[in-house]
Amino acid sequence: MNGRSSMGWCFGRAGAWLVLLFLVLPALIALPVSLTPERYLSVPKDSMSLRHYANLFSSDEWISSIFQSLVIACGAAILATVLGTLCAIGLWRISTRFSEAIRALLLLPLIIPPIISAMAFYRVWVKLGLLDSYLGMIIAHAILAAPMVLITVSAALANFDPKLEQASRNLGAALPTTLRRVIFPSIRPGILAGAVFAFILSWDEIVVTLFIAKFRVFTLPRRMWDGIRENTDPTVAAAAVVLIVVTLTALLLSVLLSRGRAPAAETKET
Amino acid sequence: MPDPASSDGLTLKGLSKRFGSFEAVTDVCLDVRRGEFLTLLGPSGSGKTSLLMMIAGFLDPSDGDIALDGQSIIRLPAEKRNFGMVFQGYALFPHMSVWQNIAYPLEVRKQPRAQIQSRVQEMLDLVQLTEFSDRLPRQLSGGQQQRVALARALSFNPQILLLDEPLGALDKKLRTDVQEQLKDLHRRVGATFIYVTHDQEEALSMSDRVVIMNHGKVVQVGAPNDLYERPETVFAANFLGKSNFLRGSVTAANGQTLSCVVAGADVHHRCNGAAPGVGELVTLALRPEKIDVAPLGDAPLSNGLQGTVSSLTYYGSNFTVTTEVAGFGSVTAEVGAWRNPHRFETGQTVDLSWQEDATVLVSEGTES
Ligand SMILES: Nc1ncnc2c1ncn2[C@@H]1O[C@H](COP(=O)(O)OP(=O)(O)O)[C@@H](O)[C@H]1O
Ligand SMILES: [Mg+2]
Repeated sequence: MNGRSSMGWCFGRAGAWLVLLFLVLPALIALPVSLTPERYLSVPKDSMSLRHYANLFSSDEWISSIFQSLVIACGAAILATVLGTLCAIGLWRISTRFSEAIRALLLLPLIIPPIISAMAFYRVWVKLGLLDSYLGMIIAHAILAAPMVLITVSAALANFDPKLEQASRNLGAALPTTLRRVIFPSIRPGILAGAVFAFILSWDEIVVTLFIAKFRVFTLPRRMWDGIRENTDPTVAAAAVVLIVVTLTALLLSVLLSRGRAPAAETKET
Repeated sequence: MPDPASSDGLTLKGLSKRFGSFEAVTDVCLDVRRGEFLTLLGPSGSGKTSLLMMIAGFLDPSDGDIALDGQSIIRLPAEKRNFGMVFQGYALFPHMSVWQNIAYPLEVRKQPRAQIQSRVQEMLDLVQLTEFSDRLPRQLSGGQQQRVALARALSFNPQILLLDEPLGALDKKLRTDVQEQLKDLHRRVGATFIYVTHDQEEALSMSDRVVIMNHGKVVQVGAPNDLYERPETVFAANFLGKSNFLRGSVTAANGQTLSCVVAGADVHHRCNGAAPGVGELVTLALRPEKIDVAPLGDAPLSNGLQGTVSSLTYYGSNFTVTTEVAGFGSVTAEVGAWRNPHRFETGQTVDLSWQEDATVLVSEGTES
């Protein structure tokens, strides 16, 4: 390798880190603010304190919100993963120009501005009596997140060798067995990634939540929204840190799960 | 009901496959006998895989019927046909060990655990992979993967085994070994093998019968030496081995012997069947190894041509001598390299001669 290209490579790396920092910094500002000893939103100067975390985890309201958000995000992730995966497999099996059109249509929830979706959900949920309920939240978030799963699972299926499906059928397995024993194991990383994205989408969703939740359902983002409007309590910053930590944990988990399979298999050999 | 003789085994009746307006397989009729080793041989794109996929049940024929022991199986889904298949590239399940791959068809058939255990062990022994049973496919060499694919396809005792260029990914030396193993396996398991290849040597050395295909059509069917010695078309003569083609019009037909003029010389040919009439244009195929090459002699040749050596290629066991025949073109002859008394040089004029029954009358073949 010559010096010039390795220098260019260094600049490229530095640039990439700068951009990354620029993207991440606004999110990280919550961390110092959450450690302020003051009663108002501020960056700590002389000392730091965990009082806002103590407040967060001793307040029934905040704990209930965290719990609600977790339940809704898990429910939405499961529902979206099932729907998105089935959709992706169906479209993959049909695989015509018509199914490509359907795929584009199914991606619409990702493209439509959230405020439009929110209004639509509100109108329909009123009629269905789903307003301000766990079920309504889970279904709405699942609908928003299913296209994510559709994308990740479709990508995994595009890499799936169709000969494996033929081999399975040739060996006597009908479609359900083939799905369970050959197709699912091969696209598992795609399904997992989709599930994590769906979880994250629901976990910090606020726009649709504001429209269809009222008294009973109070998710974490909604509690933060209220907290920041009514007073400048730094507990909101602590909640933001919790939000980020859970999101990062989910991402990390998905990376570990999809990576972990290959090396585990490799060590089995000797 | 068709007569019982022809209803035993696999029968293809007028099988065709169209992709849009393109016809990949055209009107294939074939009787595959029980237990035989049948090879589909043809250049890439000649429709071999499409034909095999229709037999396996992965492609719906556009026309025609497939029958097994007299029963149409065209409506039977692939998973119910019970044909083993070794795919191009093997298609081993990457997340399953060798053992799990071979056990898969047995588990799917819900066989008892103990029976699966012993059958997998038996298959592992058959392909000599016992010590690799815990490995994943990607931890095996190409030859080992190929054997796993074979063991998996044979573990449920299929009546018919379909193989799509199973040796394509192996290097030449290994290929020869595996060819022998495959033939041996065929003798031992007694299943019908339908084997796809574009390699003529493979086809000749392994098969009971060879089906030569081109442009989706069956060109000729026969035992390897039948096809080699008596090709019916220019394509068959050229695809299975090499051939020179002598073209001329018949000047005399004397019983079974006909004469024609090629490049100003009289060439005689002894026919097997009906001889063409005087004046007809004929094409004679002549194998390179059936030509005697000798230094220019004094006596005129009774059946041959004179040519100038344009190139010599050494292949270890033999030489290929390419000669230019004035007014005709190039003629290739093959000469054994060992104890060959003659040393030829490029530019030298030589006598090319052959026996009257060395040539084969072939048709040009209209489709191309
Ligand atoms: N699914 C398909 N759609 C369109 N054309 C196809 C398809 N499968 C095969 N073909 C065409 O059919 C011809 C025969 O293909 P194939 O059966 O794979 O030949 P071979 O195995 O002898 O190389 C080729 O020209 C190929 O391009
Ligand atoms: Mg092929």
